[in-house]
Amino acid sequence: MAGVGGAFAERSGVLNIAIEGMMLVGAFVAVLVSNYSGSATLAALAAIAAGGLMATLFAYLCVTRNLEQIVCGVALNLLAVGITNVLYRKILGPLPYIRVAGFDDIKIPFLSDIPVLGRLFFDYNVVTYILFILPVIATWIMFRTSWGLSVRAVGDEPEAVDTAGISVSRVRYTCVIVGGLCAGLAGAALSLTDMRSFVTGMIAGRGFIVIAAHFCGRWNPIRVVLFCLLFGLADALQLRLQSLYPSVPSEILSMAPYVLTVVFLAGFIGTVTAPRKMDIPYVRA
Amino acid sequence: MLSIFNLIMADRYRRFLVSCVAVAVALVVAGALIALLGYNPVTAYIMMAQGAFGSAYAFSVTAVRSAPLLIIGLGFLIGYRAGLFNVGGEGQLYVGATGATLVGLVPIHVPAIIHLPLALLASFVFGALWAAIPAYLRAYHKVNEIVTTLMFNYLGYHLVSYLINADNGPLFEEGAAFAQSPPIAKSAELPILLTGTSLHLGVLFAVVLAVGTYVAIGYTAWGFTLRMIGRSLKTARYAGVNYQRQIFGAILIGGGMGGLAGGCEILGLRHHLYQGLSPGYGYDAVAVVLLANGNALGTIVASIFFGALRSGGNLMQQTIGLDVSVVFIIQALIILFLLGGIALKFQPRKFQPPHRVHTPKVLKNHA
Repeated sequence: MAGVGGAFAERSGVLNIAIEGMMLVGAFVAVLVSNYSGSATLAALAAIAAGGLMATLFAYLCVTRNLEQIVCGVALNLLAVGITNVLYRKILGPLPYIRVAGFDDIKIPFLSDIPVLGRLFFDYNVVTYILFILPVIATWIMFRTSWGLSVRAVGDEPEAVDTAGISVSRVRYTCVIVGGLCAGLAGAALSLTDMRSFVTGMIAGRGFIVIAAHFCGRWNPIRVVLFCLLFGLADALQLRLQSLYPSVPSEILSMAPYVLTVVFLAGFIGTVTAPRKMDIPYVRA
Repeated sequence: MLSIFNLIMADRYRRFLVSCVAVAVALVVAGALIALLGYNPVTAYIMMAQGAFGSAYAFSVTAVRSAPLLIIGLGFLIGYRAGLFNVGGEGQLYVGATGATLVGLVPIHVPAIIHLPLALLASFVFGALWAAIPAYLRAYHKVNEIVTTLMFNYLGYHLVSYLINADNGPLFEEGAAFAQSPPIAKSAELPILLTGTSLHLGVLFAVVLAVGTYVAIGYTAWGFTLRMIGRSLKTARYAGVNYQRQIFGAILIGGGMGGLAGGCEILGLRHHLYQGLSPGYGYDAVAVVLLANGNALGTIVASIFFGALRSGGNLMQQTIGLDVSVVFIIQALIILFLLGGIALKFQPRKFQPPHRVHTPKVLKNHA
């Protein structure tokens, strides 16, 4: 999910290293709100807002102020860790270990009764369903609408877009904020579905794996999601592997996403053409 | 007012001032946050300072924390001056540590005078090797080094995890309570400088390295070409510099530095290879170099500062209960305000921090 949002942000030319931080913030806010409101939906919305807020800050620094994107991202990630840790200690710490209201599984009545496929595809929680629909919508937007065209153009040749009269900053801002919204939701998904609570540092590098997925999937939302699924699979597998077959080094699976990214980047399997103006601030001449 | 300010200050003093102001503002803002949380910021900071410098022991802890920051920072700095972002410090540290451990575990008895330098050399080589692929990809194929080095960080981490895996890792120590390698030979350990503390020679080594780097970057031909690439790739090409080799070398040496940091950690402090060697040293080192504006000597001060933040933070948490993660907030704020200083044009117009080297596609045809 963070993959799709990030795909938008990065397509427009902003390398969003801070996805990790936004996910973390989202996760934390989600648990916080859920704890006090008892409503999972409200929590999710709050998480989305939090992610968006953080993204706005990021966008301000990178687009308006043209600061070095990587460094900003690193700083924001650090900030997110610091703030969530401290707040967690202060607010949620003293409370006994709670499981907050999360998203329960929803079985789509008829379809989920299909023997194997039914359980596989239709017995998840709301958030996962969104996972299925989001990339489709995103791809449609990115490749079939004029807005999507602007996004892609800004990523490759912002001067052209500017000449055409479209505001480069606005496009980039919107994309980064969208990315943040999605990341916030992603964080909420993580903390509200299976775990139902917050642990310090619970994102554990998944934000960076998302970036890897971006590279491998060449910023096409559907491809990115596929890679996210692949990496998620590797992650889940390596956990299982540790208990089932302890003699096999599970780290190989853990390493897989990263190796794959480097392989892709090196150009062994197709070329990765990043949006050409990735990570380059646009300054109006 | 700003113009008078800009007039009186010479370039380099202004940069230094920006760094100081950034730190000061960050501390103030963080202090406000601390107060909001219900703690007394002054007490918090005093506790931190005490934890970092209050006693000889405290000081040694701070120094030991600063050393890896300094060494990795130097590695990042070399790339940074050339416009490169080698953020692979973490992974290089781990792999370098592995190299040092391997040499340290050699079963034959070797006199310390050979064993120790050999182990350090091994850590450098291992670290450099770890950065070799990203370096090559960046130098000769323009592949974004930020992403590659980042990926290699995780790879390095998992590699170590594999090596010391309790069940089947080749370096696992039999019968140990948790996953770690057997202790390295005494002859490979870095001597302690102050008895009763953990202050090891690596700290001094780091400072020497910093001075050496400063001299190399500022006063040698190699350093000059490095800086030239960082300021203007076109000029470098025009001058006939083999920029690809320079870039490759810069990242490679940076990786070696990261490895050295890992080596020092193992040889001087930990003596075992295990998972949690680095509490984020690699990433903190980036902040350290930014704070020091890419100046090798300044990095010494900056790394001590960051080391102090971390070690002092522990005492602060123990005494007044404020979570040590507040240190992260401070660090992040420092970085942000530093950047803000650049943005608000407190930096003189002439000077630009080496911006990311984007080898434009058009060069490929002319090459």
